[in-house]
Amino acid sequence: MSDTSSSRTRAGWLALALASVLVIGALWPSQASAQVPPRFYWKTLSGTNAIPVIVNSMSGNTNPFDPAHLVAPGANLDATLAIGGYARMFTLLDRAAMAAVLLPMGRISGEVSAADQTINSSARGFGDPMFELNVNLIGPKAQKNLVDVLRYEPGFSLDVIADLAVPVGEYDSGQPLNLGQNRWYGRLGAPIVWQLGPWVPGRRTTLELLPAVWFFGTNDDFEGKSLETDPMFQVDAHLTRDFTEHMWGSLDGAWYTGGTASVDGVEGEKLDNLAFGLTLGYQINDNLGLTMGYKSTVNDSAPGDLQMDGFMISLVSGWHQIIEGARRLESGE
Amino acid sequence: MNDTQQRSVRARVTRPGNPGRLLRTMGIAGMVAALVAPAIGFAADPPRPPNIVIILGDDLGFADMGAFGSEIATPNLDSLATSGVRFTNFYTHASCSPTRSILLSGVDTHLNGLGNMDEWTAPNQLGVVGYEGYLNDRVVTLPQLLKEAGYHTYMVGKWHMGKAPGQIPAARGFERDFSLLDGAGSYWDMTNFTGAAPRSVFTEDGRYLTELPKDYYATQTYTDKLISFIDANRGDGKPFFAYVAHQAPHDPYHLPRDWRSRHVGEYDKGWDAVRQERLARQVELGIMPAGTELSERMWFLPDPVLLAPASRAFLGKRMELYAGMVENLDFHVGRLVDHLKEIGEYENTVFLVFGDNGAEGTDLFKMIAGSPGTRDFLFAAVKWSQTHPNAWGDPGSYVAYGPMWAQVSMTPFSQYKGWLAEGGIRNGLIVSGPVVKRPAGSVNHGLMHVADIMPTLLELAGASYPKTYQGRELPALLGRSWSPMLAGEVESVRTSQDVLAWEVFGNRAVRRGDWKLRWQVRPFGKSEWELFDLATDPAERKDLAAERPDKVAELAALWDDYVRANNVILPSRTPFETMEKQMPQRVPDDPGFPPLTGKKQFVPPADMMADPKP
Repeated sequence: MSDTSSSRTRAGWLALALASVLVIGALWPSQASAQVPPRFYWKTLSGTNAIPVIVNSMSGNTNPFDPAHLVAPGANLDATLAIGGYARMFTLLDRAAMAAVLLPMGRISGEVSAADQTINSSARGFGDPMFELNVNLIGPKAQKNLVDVLRYEPGFSLDVIADLAVPVGEYDSGQPLNLGQNRWYGRLGAPIVWQLGPWVPGRRTTLELLPAVWFFGTNDDFEGKSLETDPMFQVDAHLTRDFTEHMWGSLDGAWYTGGTASVDGVEGEKLDNLAFGLTLGYQINDNLGLTMGYKSTVNDSAPGDLQMDGFMISLVSGWHQIIEGARRLESGE
Repeated sequence: MNDTQQRSVRARVTRPGNPGRLLRTMGIAGMVAALVAPAIGFAADPPRPPNIVIILGDDLGFADMGAFGSEIATPNLDSLATSGVRFTNFYTHASCSPTRSILLSGVDTHLNGLGNMDEWTAPNQLGVVGYEGYLNDRVVTLPQLLKEAGYHTYMVGKWHMGKAPGQIPAARGFERDFSLLDGAGSYWDMTNFTGAAPRSVFTEDGRYLTELPKDYYATQTYTDKLISFIDANRGDGKPFFAYVAHQAPHDPYHLPRDWRSRHVGEYDKGWDAVRQERLARQVELGIMPAGTELSERMWFLPDPVLLAPASRAFLGKRMELYAGMVENLDFHVGRLVDHLKEIGEYENTVFLVFGDNGAEGTDLFKMIAGSPGTRDFLFAAVKWSQTHPNAWGDPGSYVAYGPMWAQVSMTPFSQYKGWLAEGGIRNGLIVSGPVVKRPAGSVNHGLMHVADIMPTLLELAGASYPKTYQGRELPALLGRSWSPMLAGEVESVRTSQDVLAWEVFGNRAVRRGDWKLRWQVRPFGKSEWELFDLATDPAERKDLAAERPDKVAELAALWDDYVRANNVILPSRTPFETMEKQMPQRVPDDPGFPPLTGKKQFVPPADMMADPKP
């Protein structure tokens, strides 16, 4: 009786830690639709590693590899994206931090109207890799050990993020569609995770916001012209809720404004668009998380409006040295 | 003058009065009274007996109140202690319904119906008088007699002494009640533990409840109800007896969310360290004498120093919740005390505070929930499966703190609830109020027993224990009135020749003076008599049976007397019958053994370090 309960409780933390550590958010392609998924900024144990494999199928009148969402009126583009990445949680000045790199790859094709001509275009290969640094400013301290994991509740958490994409992706100035953007760009943002109610797997509810500003360098060879884009303001919002301990869902929204593009000084229209979507997540096991979602712009009936929709499926594998070792020992008993 | 003022005046007038003392001092006082009687005539009302409040903590441990050395914040209970007296040598029984049956009847369990817990009645005890599993009608209850003596009688909380209409609080002398009839259950709703009995049963004023009040939380609701009972009868000038049988801090540790996180990380240091700290405070407070040793850490418990920090935190969180339970209990006791002060009744109220047995170290939920594939496992899966630590305290969670923390609650004693080691039956007692004439805040070490409460309170109320009740001859009271001791006339109501004895689940013990003879099933005992000198070894570390066979024989004979006098039938089946085969082999707890676990990394002298040669 008592002895077995004791050993049972002693082992309990490991199962808990396993479940807690590897819930690192699905590393959604931040380039694709310039939006990260719900629960992306949840924190976990420092030293946790994650590798995402993300596949997107998208359609619309903009190149999903371009976060500026330069609208090509009348275009009908289809893209298949795969994104591989790596992320690692670490501690920076006692705060939770994450460094990540994402490398988009895939193909895009479609009809593009440009210069009063409609042409078919396609591209394939690698896009611009993006680096992201995230540091938490308000909220629980970094989870430096399993005790911290045990006690973690986000409460009201606010981070600061800095993204930078490096223009080394495949780019052909003669093509209207490209995977690389041939310019530096990045983002500054302040992700917020607001815990609503208890932090109990199966009953967690969060409201998550990501206000951010994208900054774009100049593409001096945009089909021989110069492309400049004003900063674009973006707010992502997610209302997430656990359905079970392993399954959750989210209502997603996004608003973009600004981002006026100029081609050789000729200004286009400023973006002012809304998109909504749904996401379902499922934790397959302690190491694997599956996410599926759909999102579409809604106020997109005018020719110059951003039109984009897409399905996404992602599989994220996470691991931590302590957890893996402890599990090996337990399974060997 | 309004009612409140009248009662305040009456309380002040009657405070010096004490029926028991008056009776004893009748020789002198009677003559004085005869001389002055014409002068005082009808100038004052006859002294009103004091109100009586018994606050019973369910599984509250000896060392869980601040006044008994705990780090848990219990300012309201401590306040009763500092205005009254703490007792360190007070015995209950080893489990709840047996203790409660003695408390309310003053009669030994084997006569009053709780010779065994209803849940564990053995085949050879079925149908035997004294083993009915409820408080039988061969005894009269304390509230029945107090009611006849002019008291209002109120009960809130856990009953656990019968559910049938003739067995419930209203049938056993309580004029008003709000009661959980089961031994435990959810603090939030009517959910109970098994598929066979899925709903807790409650009564209010003798009627079985179909549902609970809105915003029900056991400890709060019990307190609210009691306050409403008291207020409803305030105007009639009668004293009241309130039996406040709190469910807290019995597991599951259901607790409002804002009470759960007041001690985060404080118990990560582990049970050994907390026990040492509590013992040090007990010595400082005079609860235990200097030089007292802690009991052994039970052999199946890990040395917390050897556990990973996360394991200590995980297990420590259970104790954090338990501390919250005790603090929440204290808070609601404070509400009751404050209310009595507001209505002018506090000064004329006697409080008794204690736990009903040792702290709970057994995994009750495991015993209740069954194993996969069983009916009760299925029930638990639906109703009791909120296992995540962040859900602990919520409806559907079942948290208990385990044997390691139960030992902390029973510092410095050995073992816990269900057993007849000191950790199972010895508890801290506080008595305060106008009846107490000992120095405020003092500590007394006289030998006491829960059976003493019935004669003490009857005397206090000016009542007496009858020979018969409703035509039935009553068994003799087991205990002794504390009146002379509370009055400061003696240090103890027992001499070194008085005998106390216990039996439950087949375990048995007898104490006379400082000597205690104990028989417990292996591995908690030796399945043979063990002998302890509690004066020098309250933690029962050293079995002296081999050294003192004369004392063993003497006490064993007293045990036989107890069996004959009290209808003791040892059970043919017990909850512990297979325990020895399930538990690790018992080994001594030798600090520092094995040295292997304490070996640190060897660091050679720096000047002798060298790189490997090629």
